[in-house]
Amino acid sequence: MGSRASLALRRQGSPFTGIGPVLVKELADHLSSVRMLVLTLFVIAFGAFPVASSLQTLRTVVDPNSFLFLRIFTLEPEQVGISFVAALNFIIPLMAIGLGFDSVNSEFNRRTLSRVLSQPIYRDALLMGKFLAGLATFAVVLVALWLMVFGAGLLLLGVPPRGVEVARGVGFLVVAIAYGGIWLAISMLFSVLLRSPATSALCALGLWLFFLLLWPQLASAIVSGAAAGEIRSVEDYAALQDLAMGLMRLSPGTLFSEAVLALLSPETRTLGPMLPAQMRGAILGAPLPFDQSLLLIWPQITGLIAGMIVVFAAAYVVFQRQEVRA
Amino acid sequence: MRALLALLILVLLPVAGAHAQREPSGVKGLFLLTDYPSQTVRAGEVMTIRVMVNNAGLLPQPLALALNGVPAGWKIDLLGGGQPVAAVMAGVNQEVAVQLRVEVPKNAPPGSQTVVLTARSQMGQQASLPLTLTVGTETPARLSLKSRLPSLRGTPRTAFEYTLTVGNDSGKDLTVGLAAQGPANFQSTFTEGYGSNEISAIPIEAGQTKDIKLKVTPPRDVRAGDYPVLVKVAAEGATAEMHVVLQVSGQGRLALSTRDGRLSGEGESGTTSTYTLVLANDGTAPVDEVELTGTVPANWKIEFNPKSIASIAPGDKKEVQALVTPADKAIAGDYMASFRAAARGEQASADFRITVTTSTLWGIVGIGIIAVALLVLLGAVARFGRR
Repeated sequence: MGSRASLALRRQGSPFTGIGPVLVKELADHLSSVRMLVLTLFVIAFGAFPVASSLQTLRTVVDPNSFLFLRIFTLEPEQVGISFVAALNFIIPLMAIGLGFDSVNSEFNRRTLSRVLSQPIYRDALLMGKFLAGLATFAVVLVALWLMVFGAGLLLLGVPPRGVEVARGVGFLVVAIAYGGIWLAISMLFSVLLRSPATSALCALGLWLFFLLLWPQLASAIVSGAAAGEIRSVEDYAALQDLAMGLMRLSPGTLFSEAVLALLSPETRTLGPMLPAQMRGAILGAPLPFDQSLLLIWPQITGLIAGMIVVFAAAYVVFQRQEVRA
Repeated sequence: MRALLALLILVLLPVAGAHAQREPSGVKGLFLLTDYPSQTVRAGEVMTIRVMVNNAGLLPQPLALALNGVPAGWKIDLLGGGQPVAAVMAGVNQEVAVQLRVEVPKNAPPGSQTVVLTARSQMGQQASLPLTLTVGTETPARLSLKSRLPSLRGTPRTAFEYTLTVGNDSGKDLTVGLAAQGPANFQSTFTEGYGSNEISAIPIEAGQTKDIKLKVTPPRDVRAGDYPVLVKVAAEGATAEMHVVLQVSGQGRLALSTRDGRLSGEGESGTTSTYTLVLANDGTAPVDEVELTGTVPANWKIEFNPKSIASIAPGDKKEVQALVTPADKAIAGDYMASFRAAARGEQASADFRITVTTSTLWGIVGIGIIAVALLVLLGAVARFGRR
C-alpha cells in the first residue's frame, strides 16, 4: 500500500466530487423502486395499527399524563400489546437493512461499478452518496410517518401539542434516524464485504436477530458469571447492574429504546439502577425539563451517531481497498 | 332556696318522725301549709301561692276546699295540676299541692287583705289557713353579678373564659339580658354553665342565681396589655355591672417564606445554590433565638447564613441565605427540601421544591466522541482515498 501511495496516484481535488449526482440518482432509484413501496407499506401497516389503537384508548380513557401527545407513541394498547415505539424498534432495522444490503455488491454483480467509476466520480463519493441517499430515503419515510401520527393525533384528540411535546417528538425523530443510520451502515458494510446480496442480507439480518434475541441472554450469562456469589452490598449489586447495562448497551436497539424512553416519558429520571439514598426526597412523577432528558440520554445519542460513523468508516476503508475491476 | 329547704323539711320531718317514734305517732290531723302565709302582692299582677294539704294519720277522704274573705274585684282560683279544682284527697301521711292563682285588680288599694282557705271533710274534720296578702308598692328588681376570677392572663390566641354568677335578688322571676362591652374587635359570647349554645338572655327565678360563662376572644394582632371588658346584666330596669380584665401577653409568630413567595428553586448536582429566605414575625412580641434547620435528601448539604437570629421584632423581617448543595450523584429531577425556623415556643417551616439539573460536561464529552468518529472517517478518506 505504502509503495502505491505515490504522488502520482494521489487524488487531485476534493474526494466528494460527484457526490451530488450519485445522491440524486440513488435517491431517485430508491424512491421509485418496488422494494421501497413494499417497505413503506410495511412500515405504515406496522405503525398504523398501534397508533390507531392507542388513539382509541386515549380518546376513551382519561389519561392523567400531561404529555398527552407523547402518549400516542408510548401507550401500549391492550388489543395490540405493542406500542408504536416498540413496533418501530423492529421496523427500523428491517427497513434500513432492506435499503442497504445490496447497495454495493449488486453493482458488482451487474458489472456497473467500473462503468460508474469511469465517470469523474471518486469511490469515496460513490459510497458516501449511496449511504446518504439511503439515509435520506429512510428519513423521508420516517418523517412522513411521524407527521401522520401527529396529524392523526391532532384530528382525533382535538388537542394541539405543546411546544415541549413537539420538541421531544423531533428529538425522537432524530434518534430514530440515527438508529436507522447505524443499521444502514452495517448492511452496507456487509454489502461491501460480501459479493452475494443474499449472503449479505442474511448476515445483516442475522446480526440483527443476534442483538434482538441472543444478546440479552448472553449478557445476563456473562453478568452471572462475573458475579460468582460476591454480592455483599448494595454497591456490589449496583456495580453488577452497571455491568449488565453496559453490555446491553452494545446493542443499538437498547440504545434506541433507552433514548426513546427518556424522550417520550419525561418523568424518566434515570435509566440505570437507582440507589434508595438517591430516591430520598425525590418527588416522583415530576417531569424532567427537556434539556435534562436530553442530557440523560446524551451518551445513547452519542453512541448511535458515533457508531453509525465508525461502521460507515469501516465500510469505507474496506471498499477503498477492494479491487473493483471484476 | 328557702322554699326548697322548707319543702325538704316538710317531706323529711314526717319520715324522720315516723322512724324515730313509730308507735306514739305524734301529730295527727288535717293541715294546710304554705311557706309564706303573709305575702306582698302588686296591683295588676298575677301571683301564685303554693299550699300543701297534709293528711297526718287520718283516713283518706275527699276534702272540699273553700275560700272566704276574697276582696271585691279580686279573682282567686284554686288550681291542682294546672286545672281548677274544688276538692282534694290526700292519702294517709301524704300531702297534695294546690296552687292559689291570685289576680290582683289594677286599682286595688294598698293595705292588707286576709283570705281564709278551708278544707273540710264530710266527717267533720276541717283545717283552715289564713293568708294575709298585702298590696304594697312594687319592690324594685335587683340583680347581682359576681365573678370568681375576674382577671385572666393569656396570649392573643387564648380564649378568655370567665365564669360569672348572676343573682336575682328580687321577689319575682326575671329574664336577664346579658351584654359585654370590650375594646374594638374583641369578640365576646355568653354561654350557659356547661352548655354550648350562645345566649343573650337567661331567665332566673326569684332569689336564685345562675352561672354563666363569658368567652372573650381578642383579635390576633392585639398588642400586649390589659384590656377591661364591661359586663352588664339588665332586667326590668335593674342592672348590675362589673369589669373583667384580660391580661394579654404578647406572642411572637414566625412565618417562613421567600422574598417573592415562590417556594421552588433550581440547583445543580454537586454545586451550591443559594436561596434567600425571609423570616417574618407577624406576632405581637419579639421572637428570640431563632434557629434555622433544614431537611434535605440524603447526601445533600445544607447551611444557613446566618445560622441563627438573635431577635426579630414584631412586624419585622429578616433575610436568611440557605445554601443547598445537592449530592454529587444526585439524579436530575425535582426534590423536596424543607426549611424550619424554631424559636422558643414558636416555629415555622416551608417546603421547598428544588429542581436539580446535572452538569452539561457529559454533553460536551459526547460531542467530542462524535467529533473523534468524524475525524476517523476523515482520516480514512485521507489515507485510503484514491482514484
